[in-house]
Order: sequence, then structure tokens, then C-alpha cells
Amino acid sequence: MQPAVFERVVVKNSPVYQYMKVSLVLEQAQTKLTAVELKHLITTGLKSLYGEVGAAFPFDLLTFEEDTLTAVLRVYSRGLVRLWSSITLLGFFQQQRCAFRVLQVSPYLLALTGNSRDLALDS
Amino acid sequence: MVRVKSRYLLCEIHVSDPSKLLLLEDRAITAAVKDAVTSAHGDYGAAQCSIGFSVKYVNAHTGILFLRCPKSSYRLIWSALPFITSVERKGRRISCFLSCLHVGGTIRTCQKFLIRYNTQQLHRMLPKCKTQEEKDQVRRAILSSSTYMLKGKEHKEERD
Amino acid sequence: MFKQLEKTPRTVLVCERSHLDHEKARLGTHVEQHFFNHKVSLLVPGCDRLPAELDAALNSMRSFLLVRNLPLSQLLEKEFLDQAVYKGSTYGLSYQTRIDEDNCYALLPNGKLVLSVDKDTYETLGLEGKPSQYQRRPAGRYVVSVDLKDRTMSPGGKGHQRVVKALTEHTPLSCDLLLSQHLPGDESPALQSLLSNHKLSEHRPRVSSHVMTSLPCPTLVTSHLQGEQQSCDPQSFLEWLGAVDAGVTFEDQSDGYLSTYECPQPQTVVDAAVRCSVTGLLLPEDIYHLLDVLRRSVLEPKLAPWLALTVHGFQDSPVSWGTAEHGFLSGGENFYTLVLFQNLDYWICMATGPHDACPP
Repeated sequence: MQPAVFERVVVKNSPVYQYMKVSLVLEQAQTKLTAVELKHLITTGLKSLYGEVGAAFPFDLLTFEEDTLTAVLRVYSRGLVRLWSSITLLGFFQQQRCAFRVLQVSPYLLALTGNSRDLALDS
Repeated sequence: MVRVKSRYLLCEIHVSDPSKLLLLEDRAITAAVKDAVTSAHGDYGAAQCSIGFSVKYVNAHTGILFLRCPKSSYRLIWSALPFITSVERKGRRISCFLSCLHVGGTIRTCQKFLIRYNTQQLHRMLPKCKTQEEKDQVRRAILSSSTYMLKGKEHKEERD
Repeated sequence: MFKQLEKTPRTVLVCERSHLDHEKARLGTHVEQHFFNHKVSLLVPGCDRLPAELDAALNSMRSFLLVRNLPLSQLLEKEFLDQAVYKGSTYGLSYQTRIDEDNCYALLPNGKLVLSVDKDTYETLGLEGKPSQYQRRPAGRYVVSVDLKDRTMSPGGKGHQRVVKALTEHTPLSCDLLLSQHLPGDESPALQSLLSNHKLSEHRPRVSSHVMTSLPCPTLVTSHLQGEQQSCDPQSFLEWLGAVDAGVTFEDQSDGYLSTYECPQPQTVVDAAVRCSVTGLLLPEDIYHLLDVLRRSVLEPKLAPWLALTVHGFQDSPVSWGTAEHGFLSGGENFYTLVLFQNLDYWICMATGPHDACPP
């Protein structure tokens, strides 16, 4: 058995990815959309604000809940501002008004699963 | 006061049909560049390009242009230049492409580069002449253009 | 090309590896110093039911109180000081206040009362404080820290009178407060009777558990904290843990249009894994107890070579580790993940958001 050691590593400012939890609010609440449609919608937003160069920027749709229209996106750190600004300015989904609410942004995916602001205690 | 810094792009325009070169003018080129930036970089690029961007100089004979853009956003415009495939002028589409020769901080450095570049091209082309006659022709052409310039100067002075 | 668009807020991730019995191992202090814990989630690969002892430890996290509309001056009354501050360790945190827009208050177990207030409240309050480290110019937020265990703060003392006057006459502050107390020995906490004239309710931490089947797990090698070829580095491991917690599917999506995420290589597929989480106001003492249980149960040979425990802090608490100031900016995350190996080696990764001091 090797002797126990103590090692400490500090990692600064090097997150490769950033994660965003967003929800889509539609004018007609009963409209349903699939994950593929959502991703296409976001890509359209990127294309209109940052052109073809922006639309080519890769991002991942990790999870999507169809009943609450909430999604978790993963994006390279250097594209966070571009993705965030383009979904903020996105206003239409198939000729109906829509808006994205950015619920949480973090460089750690784990942080998105433990949001203390969601702690609801009914008394 | 701090000087507003800008970048000057020295570009050469290549047209498939040389007779159409004379049709080029700055407004048509501005529109073409703006369109290319919008399609490549979207609204953000178009906004960056709307301030401080202008076509400073067009030489319709040799196909040389100077584009001026703010220093902060010249890469946006620079990267969009290869996507220009045609310039529209009076409803006619002139197919062409742009190649960027030099990026400079002032018009002066661009001009210096252009002179050097043209000399280089001349040195490269002269050995390609096969007969004495061709060489003479080139020499005469250079002489005629320079005397034309000299004459032009004299004319100007006379008018003054 | 987009230089000004590519910046992201700074972050710090501190990773440590050692052995539980190593003389320099500071695991205990890390757990103790992280006062306000909101969620504990445990991942045990290699079994489809938690060992009974572990299950009991998760279910025995103590309950906490939610006191509605509590005037803060109540915390300075003699009885409260005697029963809660001088004795044992009491944790108090204002409920559903946001550190980036509202006033937030916290009562730390070392007897410090921390008020993180906006400029207007601070100016009417008349207590000495410091401008927030993260909103300096112009200071929009101030942090007032009152040490209730100090000699001048004993009831009737000069400092005590001053604070009581500030909190009753100058600006009567009140909030919904989450409260919990740990007492040494078998003494039962007297908080409920102390605050009986306020509207209060008792809450048990919510426990939920999930069984996952055929889960791909990354391979971890204890000695490779920096991430070598045969082992997964801490960042990708944290990402994978997050993906498990968030319910990301690891099935192979052939076209990769939606997501290109996959489990880090090299990986092994385990038949079953249990993910268990507890939410509420959880005390470091309880988590310490859980660690003890974990230490015993990791030795069981049936389980996978490691297990992972993640503890999330409150995003809106005015402190993160110890008394270091905490802010929100974009995420306000502060959590730590402990990976315990079968030979009792451990990794601990502590992560903080942009408005936070470096973890200890």
C-alpha cells in the first residue's frame, strides 16, 4: 500500500463549459414543442443576431421538460455571452410571441440541480 | 485628445469581365460589404459596421480599394470580405471577388505598401516578356502613364 | 474576433486529495465551516438499495423551524442569548430573501449575527459595517457583523443596548427565519418554546431517492487528481455527477443534433446505482455524522470502488465558508463534492461562484 499523501490543486478561471437553465414562455400556453424544435429556435435566434458564424457555434441541449418548457443548455464558456444575448432578444416562435427566462447560469452543472431559491416550505 | 483609431484595408477587386471594372463605385461596394457582414455576423456585425465604416478610395482602372473601419471591429469586416461574390450596380450584377492585400493603421502606410507591391508585380512580370517588342510595350505603357501624371500635374498648375 | 464577448465571470475550484487518517486532512473543518447547507445528494454505484445504516442516517437529519415575521431584535433578548447563542450552536438564515436584491440575515453558530443590507437600510440602521467586497464603488450593499458572544454584547452592555436600539427604534428589521440548533449531549433544543409567541412551523428535510440501472460511470484513480489518461479529472467528474443529478440521458444519440455530451472515457457500466438527496436546512453536524456512516459503509466489498457525496450551500446566504462574504452575480453557487474511495482515500472538490472568497 502506498503512503497517504496530501495534495491540493486550485483551478482558477478555466471552466470549459457554462450551463444555463432556461424556460420558454409562450403567448399561448397550450402550445407544445419538442426538444428539436427548441434547439432549432435557439439556433435561429443566434443566426439573426450573430449571423452564420454565430449559428455555427456549438451548444448542447442536455435536458428538456416538455410540460414546463424548461431546458438545460451547455455551451463553451467563450460563447456564453453570445448565446445569452441571442435568446434574450428572441421574440417569436412560429408567429407567436415568446420569451426566454434565464433561471440560472453556472460553470458547474451540479449547481443547477441544487437551487436553494426553489426551496418551498408550505406551512 | 485621443485619436480615434481605425484600420484601413487595402483590397484588390477581381472582376471576371475586365470591361465591367469601370462600372464600380464606392456606394455599390459599401452596400456589398455591408450585406456580406450582415449575413456572416448578423445584426451584431451590421451594427458594428454601421459606425465608422466607409469606402475611402476606389480606383476603377486598377481595381484597388481602401476600406476604413474602426480598429475594434475590423476583424468582423475582414472576415466577411471573402464572402462577397458580386456587386450590384444600377440593377446589374457584376460578379467579382475581393482579396485583401494589406491592413494598415493609416492611409499612408497602405499607400507605401501599394507602391512596393506594384513594383514587385512589375519585377515579376517583366521577365515573363518573351520578345523585345513586348518589353518595349511595357516600358512605353509605364512611361505613358507617368508622363500622363506629369502632364496632369502641369495642367493643374496652369489652372491654378 | 469577439474578444469583449468572450469573457466570463471568474470561478475557483479547489480540489484536495488525501487519506481520511492523514494528519493534514482537513475534511472535518471543511464540513464544519460550511454552515448553511441546502441539499445533500449521495450517489452510491453498485447497489440497488442503500445499506440500512446509510438510509437511517439520511432519514435522521434533524428538522428545522421556519419562523414567520420574526423581528431581529428578538435574537438579542436575554433568554434567546442564554438558550441559543451561548449554548450549543444555532444556525439561522433568512428565508426567501435574495442576496442580490433584498436584505439577508444570518445567525452563525459561532455567535455572529451577519446582516447584509442595502445602502438605505444601512444608513438608517446606524451600526458599524463594511461596504460589500463585491459592490465597492459605489457601495450599494453593506455587511454588518455583530459578535453576540463578545463581552460588550452581553445583555445590558453598551454594545447590546446600541444594537437593540438600532433594531427596534431606528429600523425595525424583521424576516422569515429558518432556525435549527445543535446541542451537545442529549439535551433537546428549546427554540420552539422560546419563540412560541411567533407563528412558526417545523419542517422535516425532504428525502428522495432514485434507482438507476445500467449507468455508465467514469473510472477514477485515486492518485490522479490532475486527470491522467486512465482516469477522469475532477472537472469532468463533477460534470458527470451533475448530468446524473439533472437526469441527462446517456443513451447514444446517433445524430448528435441535440447534445454531444457523453460519459467521460474510460468508463464502466454499473448495473444499478442509487441516488439519494435530502433538502432543507441541514446542519454540518448531521453531515459529519453522515460522513462517519459513509466511512463504515464504503468498506463493504459489494459496492463500487467509490461513492460521491455532494453538499450544496444556500445561494443567498451572506457567508459561504467560515465568515467569508458571499455574493450572487450570476449563480451564487457554493458546494463541495466528496468522493470516498474504498481504501479511505478521498477527493474533495470545493467550488464557488464569482462573488466568493477562495474556499479554505
